[in-house]
Amino acid sequence: MTVFYRRLPKFDYVSPKTLSEAWELMQGTKGIDYQVFAGGTDVIPKLKRRQGQIPKCLIDIKGIQELDYIRYDANAGLAIGALASVYAVAHSCLVSEHHPALASAAGKIAAPQIQHRATVAGNICNAAPSADTAPALLVLDATVRCASVSGERSIPLKDFFTGPLQTALSDGEIVKEILVPRSSAGPSSCYFKLSPRRTLDLAVVGVAAFIRANNGKCDEIRIGLGSVGRTPLRAFSAESTLQNAKITEESIELAAKTAAEECWPRDSIRGSAAYRRAMVRVLVARAIKQCLSGKPLGTLC
Amino acid sequence: MKSIIQLVVNGESVEIAVEPNRTLLQLLREDLGLTGTKHGCGLGDCGACTVILDGSPVNACLVLAVQARGRQVLTIEGLAENGNLHPIQKAFVDKGAIQCGFCTPGMILSAKALLDTNPKPSETEIRTAISGNLCRCTGYQKIVEAVQEAAEVIQSTEVS
Amino acid sequence: MEKQFSVVGKRLPMVDAAAKVNGSAQFTDDLTFPGMLHGKLLRSPHPHAKILNIDVSKALRLPGVKGVVTGAEIPDRQYGIVPKARDEYALAKGKVRYIGDEVAAVCAIDPEIAEEAVDLIEVDYEVLPAVFNVQDSIKEGAPVIHEGVANNTSFAIRKEFGDVEKAFAESALVSEDSFYSQPVNHAPMEPHAAVAQYDPVRGQVVLWSSTQIPFFLRRNLSATLMIPESKVRVIKPKVGGGFGQKIDMFAKDFCAAWFAMKLGRPVKFVYERDEVFIVTRQRHPMHLTVKTGMAKDGRILAQQFLSYADGGAYNSTAPTMMALSCFFLMVPYHVPNLLYEGYHVYTNKPVGGAMRGHGIPQARFAVERQLDLMADRLNLDPADVRTKNSIKAGEPHPGGFVINTCGFAESVQLAAEAIGWKEKRGKLPFGRGVGMGGASFPSGVTNMSHISSGAVVQVGQDGGVNVLTGAADIGQGAETVIAQIVAEVLGVSLDDVRVTAADTGTTPLDPGTFGSGVTVRAGNAARIAAESVRKKLFECVADELEANPDDLVARDGVIFVTGSPEINITFPKALKAYQYKDLPMPLVGRASWMADTNEPTTLFTQPGNFSPNYSFMTQAAEVEVDTQTGKVKVLKMVTAHDCGRPINPMLVEGQLEGSIAGGMGQALYEDVITEKGQVMNPSFLDYGFPTTMEVPEMESIDIETDDPVGPFGAKEAGEGTQLSPAPAIVNAIYDAIGVNFNELPVTPEKILKALEEKKKQGV
Repeated sequence: MTVFYRRLPKFDYVSPKTLSEAWELMQGTKGIDYQVFAGGTDVIPKLKRRQGQIPKCLIDIKGIQELDYIRYDANAGLAIGALASVYAVAHSCLVSEHHPALASAAGKIAAPQIQHRATVAGNICNAAPSADTAPALLVLDATVRCASVSGERSIPLKDFFTGPLQTALSDGEIVKEILVPRSSAGPSSCYFKLSPRRTLDLAVVGVAAFIRANNGKCDEIRIGLGSVGRTPLRAFSAESTLQNAKITEESIELAAKTAAEECWPRDSIRGSAAYRRAMVRVLVARAIKQCLSGKPLGTLC
Repeated sequence: MKSIIQLVVNGESVEIAVEPNRTLLQLLREDLGLTGTKHGCGLGDCGACTVILDGSPVNACLVLAVQARGRQVLTIEGLAENGNLHPIQKAFVDKGAIQCGFCTPGMILSAKALLDTNPKPSETEIRTAISGNLCRCTGYQKIVEAVQEAAEVIQSTEVS
Repeated sequence: MEKQFSVVGKRLPMVDAAAKVNGSAQFTDDLTFPGMLHGKLLRSPHPHAKILNIDVSKALRLPGVKGVVTGAEIPDRQYGIVPKARDEYALAKGKVRYIGDEVAAVCAIDPEIAEEAVDLIEVDYEVLPAVFNVQDSIKEGAPVIHEGVANNTSFAIRKEFGDVEKAFAESALVSEDSFYSQPVNHAPMEPHAAVAQYDPVRGQVVLWSSTQIPFFLRRNLSATLMIPESKVRVIKPKVGGGFGQKIDMFAKDFCAAWFAMKLGRPVKFVYERDEVFIVTRQRHPMHLTVKTGMAKDGRILAQQFLSYADGGAYNSTAPTMMALSCFFLMVPYHVPNLLYEGYHVYTNKPVGGAMRGHGIPQARFAVERQLDLMADRLNLDPADVRTKNSIKAGEPHPGGFVINTCGFAESVQLAAEAIGWKEKRGKLPFGRGVGMGGASFPSGVTNMSHISSGAVVQVGQDGGVNVLTGAADIGQGAETVIAQIVAEVLGVSLDDVRVTAADTGTTPLDPGTFGSGVTVRAGNAARIAAESVRKKLFECVADELEANPDDLVARDGVIFVTGSPEINITFPKALKAYQYKDLPMPLVGRASWMADTNEPTTLFTQPGNFSPNYSFMTQAAEVEVDTQTGKVKVLKMVTAHDCGRPINPMLVEGQLEGSIAGGMGQALYEDVITEKGQVMNPSFLDYGFPTTMEVPEMESIDIETDDPVGPFGAKEAGEGTQLSPAPAIVNAIYDAIGVNFNELPVTPEKILKALEEKKKQGV
């Protein structure tokens, strides 16, 4: 490090008003030439620190107003438009009511100023292993709907993250919305974040859980993990230990232990791999118990 | 390439040419001379540059100036009316919520954004609302007390 | 009863509070001047390297660049805050000593071009072996960081009184424990900045700087630019927090002045946040071994210390820091026999400097922790041990300190009561606990410092009072406190007083803000200056009131006869009377003040008083430990505090509350993490000092003592209170989970590891 930058590098800026306008701007360019962004709360700090390639042009999609929505439909479930802010999602009664894990995860991102600018879609597209909404959306079985000139496609979120800060999006594709299917289990999901401070920090470990149980038996379970691998993860092995099993202290503990064993944390200044692994175990057990308790965590809506 | 943008800052219409890589913070401080908004980190980690953009508190260092096109910006300079301090400003003064004063403008605007939407906040809601505003001097205690007092003052003046 | 004071002792808002809430308060980076240029520094990427060649040609050719300077071109004059410890150049000469060391500076028409130009400078380095810790640095054959400094040990002190060995032999318990305190960054909200302007006619350079010490900065600039002090004017605008980090001169100060003089245009340098973390100053990491002998009843009989401070690449305040660390190890307790050995060691890392408490937080952590350990070993109550060992006012002190007033024992009792010590200590459920820590701090320095403050008080025809003081308000409220003192003396309201401060061109000499000396030193100067104004006024109206001038009192805008308030004259009328007597206006009072000294003395070898007076405090914490995640929540922190008579209790409380957040950071959250000399967490995000969500419930208890030396009985506040929160928290963690931590910070990971260890041992 020899230059301590205070200023942003040079780039062009365009602000399409519609998706087709955006696609037009992306035509004939390669992914390295442009950077699509919405809130900018990840992109601008990265540019300022000169992390990665500096794009020639920033494409600001925040002007595409048709993408700013949070909708709930009893059949289709929850749809979060690409421009729905983290703050709006955290404070949405619809989201809190149906998918508390997501509302809670959104409310734990950074701080209000960031939440007002940042979008949930952006949190997912940035694809940081520590993205708070990722484990929540993973356990909610979310799908990412994206679109390009050649058409639309849906990518299950579990297949969306391909590496650290890498996604399955192709050149020219823009995320339109995130879909969370309706769930018969009701609001039995939660997200726990472990970080030194209760605000601003990135997660040392993030754990989300979703569970549907009947007469003490687990009918459906999903566990999502953040900050313990190259991408946000599903703890499939842990899930399978509980699936169709009787829910007891022991079975919960087994799932927690399995989750701790199947993740891939690394050492960093935020915490050692061993600590993160141990915390996965603690938080998975807590998250499962929280889901089963039926007690709502505080909502912001 | 520079583009000309129009925006409303503290109620006044402004037209100005800006480069794409200019931040709203630079626009305010360097082009408009509104230096009450502070540069603490440039990365959205401290809240010293908090301004209210169309009703929402944002870090001006993370907003490009061009993104403020056609929008309403409220900075600390726009809070007092006819020379009278806003009740939040007054409470910060009276309660000793200020030491060095560098975090104060951002802190006050975060509090303003809160009280505009939630006039009777709990202590937890106050702390959450200013949780993105770092202060190294006060330990936050008197800041929280000031926001509580301001909420009461605003309530009582609206009732009477 | 006649009320004692009208302005002093009141909870009054700071005199510049309104400017700070409406955005008009100007900090250094808020200043702009026509034609102003912008500077940027090139910094070393290597922890230790020889500079073989610097090619600035590409940078110079970049359109918009107005100047480039390297270490080769600047005068061969080292600087530093302590004269005998000067070892720094504004720009490296021949060699860099840590990652971030300044190599060259650029000046351009805008900040973007300056950054681009810095990137175009090409430097050939010969990388040298580097050392990153004290243990390696003091070894024979270690890389030499500064030529001629053997074992990289730039400063050593030894202080001894009594007979330590004999006392150890007589002790019921002798414990030797080792402690480590981590590097902590001050992280003031305002990044460091400087703006310089040059007047070619007068040959004077004016520097606006985010500094705590305008007059020392003037001296350092004068020395390094090789121009007389009279040709350097330093002005301190509003400063957004300092905590000691803005005591030193930095490259931005020198380079702004250099370019302004060379180019004849105003020049601004502003550090970015990562620069504040890496290239300014930090609290010294320190290794301390403490050996203490105690009698069976908990009385301290002797203490022996061995301390190694990791100073990083330069000295900064090293000798002062080591001295403070040594002297304030031994108070607030009565230590009859002492042996202290301390070493300041260079490493190829960020530079240590003064930080709130200045060498003492590390020492107090060790002492207060060990006190709990030993109380436990002797089966005594740690609170009782503290009370029992408390020094007392008026008692002869083995180190030669003169303690006029001391509320320490009382502070232990009151803090204990407020936290519920008797009901809680050792009795809370596993995971919850209480702990305390005590401390004392000097109100500035008496001996060995040669520092004094001046003040001028002027009263104009309209009754407006203008105070000129060199004191540097960096957010703590120095100007307000001084204004209150003057208002009280003259019997006017705070609104009538204007303070002009911290401008070496217009205000009297003052050493600046460090060592918590401002209220006592600059406050006393202001008090005496105001008293001399008052005396003139009293003498003028005495006849009219048919009273002796000595029997007059000025209060609430009225001058009256003691005991007969009905015999009076208003302040405006008195002023009129003064003018009608054809006495010259404005009324002016001048004073300078310095603490009594018994110099020549070096406190290292002889006993002597350190400070004009001493504050005392106890802080008590209640914590809750999540034994599964290791996270600690501080639930409550009580501060029982003797700062003499607080001039402004609201500002004192603000200091205490801020110290709690700082102490929590030191105990639990903060650490400047380096790997091979590279700071790994140079951002607010990664450094992570406490937000409003972390701070506990806070309670402040004021123990008023009327100190005979301080103005209106005041002593220091705010720096001392930074000493005891960390040990209080760590002692509370011990009470909560039965684990001793001797290293800071106590992170969740360390807690879990320790709990596992404990489980293994089956304790």
